[in-house]
Amino acid sequence: MIKVASSRHWLWFSSLSFGLVLLPLLLAMGAFSSYLGQAQWLTYMTDAYTWRVVWFSWWQACLSTVISLSAAVLVARALARRQSFVGRWLLLRCFSVALVVPSIIAVFGIILLHGKYGYFNQFWLCLGGQPQSYVYGLTGILLAHVFFNLPLATRILLQRLDAINAETWRLSSQLGMTSVDLWRHIEWPHIKGVLPQLAALVFALCFTSFAIVMTLGGGPKATTIEVAIFQAIRFDFDIAKAVYLSLLQMGFCGFILWAGLRLGKPIDMFVSLETSAKNMRPDLKPMLGIVSDSVVLFLATLLVLLPLLAVVIAGINPAWADVLLDLRLWNAFGNSLWVALSSALLSLLMASGLLLAQRHWRKRYASAALAVEWMGSVILVVPPLVLATGLFIGLSPHVNVFAINLYIVVLVNALMGLPYMLRVLSVAYLKIGTDYDRLCSSLGVQGWHRLRHVEWPILRKPVGLALALVAAMSAGDLGVVALFGSPDIQTLPLLMYQRLGSYQSDAAGVTAVVLLGLCLVIFVILERLLGGSDD
Amino acid sequence: MINFKQVNCRLGEQNFCYDLQIQLGQVVAIMGASGSGKSTLLNLLAGFIAPQNDTAQILLGDERVDLLAPSQRPVTSLFQEHNLFAHMSAFNNLALGIRTSLKLTVDEIAQVDTALEQVGLKGLGSRLPKELSGGQRQRVALGRALVRRKPLLLLDEPFSALDPALRQEMAALVKSLSQQHQLTVLLVTHEPRDALDLAETVVFIADGRVHWQGPSQDFLQQTDTHIKAYLGQSC
Repeated sequence: MIKVASSRHWLWFSSLSFGLVLLPLLLAMGAFSSYLGQAQWLTYMTDAYTWRVVWFSWWQACLSTVISLSAAVLVARALARRQSFVGRWLLLRCFSVALVVPSIIAVFGIILLHGKYGYFNQFWLCLGGQPQSYVYGLTGILLAHVFFNLPLATRILLQRLDAINAETWRLSSQLGMTSVDLWRHIEWPHIKGVLPQLAALVFALCFTSFAIVMTLGGGPKATTIEVAIFQAIRFDFDIAKAVYLSLLQMGFCGFILWAGLRLGKPIDMFVSLETSAKNMRPDLKPMLGIVSDSVVLFLATLLVLLPLLAVVIAGINPAWADVLLDLRLWNAFGNSLWVALSSALLSLLMASGLLLAQRHWRKRYASAALAVEWMGSVILVVPPLVLATGLFIGLSPHVNVFAINLYIVVLVNALMGLPYMLRVLSVAYLKIGTDYDRLCSSLGVQGWHRLRHVEWPILRKPVGLALALVAAMSAGDLGVVALFGSPDIQTLPLLMYQRLGSYQSDAAGVTAVVLLGLCLVIFVILERLLGGSDD
Repeated sequence: MINFKQVNCRLGEQNFCYDLQIQLGQVVAIMGASGSGKSTLLNLLAGFIAPQNDTAQILLGDERVDLLAPSQRPVTSLFQEHNLFAHMSAFNNLALGIRTSLKLTVDEIAQVDTALEQVGLKGLGSRLPKELSGGQRQRVALGRALVRRKPLLLLDEPFSALDPALRQEMAALVKSLSQQHQLTVLLVTHEPRDALDLAETVVFIADGRVHWQGPSQDFLQQTDTHIKAYLGQSC
């Protein structure tokens, strides 16, 4: 996996990784460019429906970002303030779980709560009201996006707030600062730097969101570009239009991410939050703060916990024996597990090679090192559906694509996981380079010994976390798989989607619990066993 | 007179227990090995840590200081670093000492300007901390101590990040300001030179207790084994 500075072996390994990343991208792009000639630009550009889709994509992404971020600021501040709050552990755990829950599961949970026959409507009915149908459309999409992005944003903001040093808090208590002063002079200056990039990230995730909009959009009124791309490929067989839409999407997304990058500080996405030291701050006593923090934390816990609980409860039903004895489920289970592990490993292979090259180039070729960083971000704006379709078209003259569609799913998921891999691993990788390269070469520690005694102890934690994340994300992927959905390749999210669509709610419930269990088990095993314990 | 009466606390594995009287209007050096409890003494006085026994009392004259909130106590603290807010100008960092809302009257603005002048930063009020040198940053914090007008100044190794020459300069500044404003200065330091140059009294702390207290010129001549071990003299 990793080689020493003194030898040139790393070059071979890095070239392999570059090949693995660049070849599929180039192949897909090449396949698409041949369709550019067929595009009827004028028709597309004057198409009212397309513009409505574009408008809705922006609108829902903006709303999702604003709601998620403002709520996250409140939750992060409340969490930072109440370090000994009893539910803190539970809330942070729920927030970690929300990072790896497949979107189809969250959607299912939200429908169970907010659907026409959901818990909230039943409660409303008991009070004498009429059942309301509000979950399909913008409301449902926003609920799901906040479910995923509030935890993500809160973790990043909380980490910034926890990084405020003890002297600052002591100083503030000596100066007698009020809660408002603390916010103005300490907390806001500490978090405002990361807000542009955080907002850009959340915006990009919501802008390109597929499974959520597909399932909760409920028709042409609430469709995003990503879903329109899917429809163009799958239903209209209009590749040229898909190309046009992808270019639009990549343009918008790229612009937003670029703006975030220019305006703000980089964010550190995946850090452990449980080890922060107790800080003394002067605004813990006032009753108003205690009440408002309690309300905020209670609501945040409910927001994440309730949909998950609803899914688990829905899984306990008489259909479980039938579903569990059904071979289709275990076939799908096997495929999902295989996709998850292969994608994660392939993604690690890609990321290690890229980072190794970055480590070596850092000293002499700064721009080449920067290019590696950009590669990660570029992939973030390429819609997975576009990549998958491109590969499909590009490969079909040469091989029987239907025979290898699961491999394409793995490849695309590995590429989609690459930005996260790079983010999690890069700090530790570069740290080894700067801190230990000279020490290792002066002591003559190299090859296997360096790998075992230097690299592995430092890298195992981030490697475990990165593998766990990408594996869980790939296991829950519904998007690339949906594009190739054929009876002979089934994965758990796909099965889940079909059962939801055909109103087999009991079977969907059991499938959901199996899928949720798979994702959590994969995550915990990879993160804990590979990453080692916390100390 | 500052009076610590049976002030006990426990941090991690270590117990601290202070009984101590300090005359006002002088500079007191607090010395001792790392982890012996020098900073803990200051933190108890400033209210950043609370005593853990009911019988503890910290008195300034006749007044119980230990029952007050940190912002009500007659002290200003200076840490080794992080004394300033990085996004705020030197002027505003000083102004925080008067009013945390930063809305100052004309008189108060004049006070801040005077304090800036006294610590030798005239004309640099608009600079951000990152545009100032390490010594200048500590001067800003010292200026804030002046506008706060609290009788006790608690310095927790405030010069240890500075070069020797700068260090002497800052020591001289502290000395002259404390005489000018009749401050009592408690200075935690590692450097026996600081004690001799600045302080009238040395308080030596070992294992969480006051081990020796006396005039600073006597400190180096002590034959006590703890002190000799600390100073690196063989017994």
